[in-house]
Amino acid sequence: MYVCNMANSKLYKGSLTTIILKLLNESEKMYGYEMTQKVKAITKGELNITEGALYPALHKLEAEGLLDVEVKKVDNRLRKYYKLTEKGNKETVSKLEELKDYIKTMETFMSPKFSLD
Amino acid sequence: MKLTPPQIENLYAFTRQHYVEHYDLQTELVDHLANDIESVWQTQTSLSFEDARDKAFKKFGVFGFMDVLERRQKAMNKRYFKYLWTELKQWFTFPKLITTLALFFGIYLGLSTIFAKSFLIGLFVIICVFTIYKSTQLNRQFKQRKALSNKKWMLEEIIFKQAGGSAIILLTQLPQWYNFSDNIFDNPYIVFAVSIFSTLFCLWMYISFEVIPNKAEQLLNETYPEFCL
Repeated sequence: MYVCNMANSKLYKGSLTTIILKLLNESEKMYGYEMTQKVKAITKGELNITEGALYPALHKLEAEGLLDVEVKKVDNRLRKYYKLTEKGNKETVSKLEELKDYIKTMETFMSPKFSLD
Repeated sequence: MKLTPPQIENLYAFTRQHYVEHYDLQTELVDHLANDIESVWQTQTSLSFEDARDKAFKKFGVFGFMDVLERRQKAMNKRYFKYLWTELKQWFTFPKLITTLALFFGIYLGLSTIFAKSFLIGLFVIICVFTIYKSTQLNRQFKQRKALSNKKWMLEEIIFKQAGGSAIILLTQLPQWYNFSDNIFDNPYIVFAVSIFSTLFCLWMYISFEVIPNKAEQLLNETYPEFCL
């Protein structure tokens, strides 16, 4: 699904939806290629979303009613933009909470605090 | 350096060559390839358009656009069944509920007679003839629509070409029904269950071959509002 640091690429699987929702939460609207470049820039090339994974995920979210689309003519061609719907905004909050809880749990697991109590 | 209109046309042809026939998906992939080509040209100014295009395409992996295409089809089928379900539900609310009940009781009465087996086979033969007739008609309509706009939409193809697809498989099983025992219809529970199934089947066929194709324009506008069909 992703080309990144191949040793840990499996850890990122399943987070693609959250990544897309988070990106769209921070911008009004984005198009597919822009998303791949933004992820690359934010993670300084550490995480690279592949095209073969991005578009199916976007289409799934669109079919679920979490994303809305609009098409504009840019540089001789049509460009499809995605933006969050109201349902998508709610889902973003829930997905980010879920991810935060996961990270917190994993941190506790990785560095447990032992006590004599 | 920006892509020229002929190069954009070339990219549309390129997606068609790689089995992407639907305009909605083609448009998105063309823009993606174009962005990537322009980005490559910023660092490799001497690279030809074809080489840059192939380089951008390779990033889609060994299966090219196939994965994107398959998943898009899956998402669109899901959307189609959602429309089908919405229509079906209407037949269980007034005033359409009256027709549904009349159909159900008609079938139930037919199956309660001594001619139950012949009645059931006759009913499904009628559905079969209707299915074949409508399939041919919808196929012709689809060709006419394509000739007019020269563009193909994934949902449009599902509505006009795949209508009641899985039902046709079921109808091919029809000859086997002759093997039914005549006594089977002595059991009122079986008569009741077969009546429910047949009513739902008739509604399903009617909705997919008549209602949805008649609403095609509205559904396409709902699905692709961005393209203002």
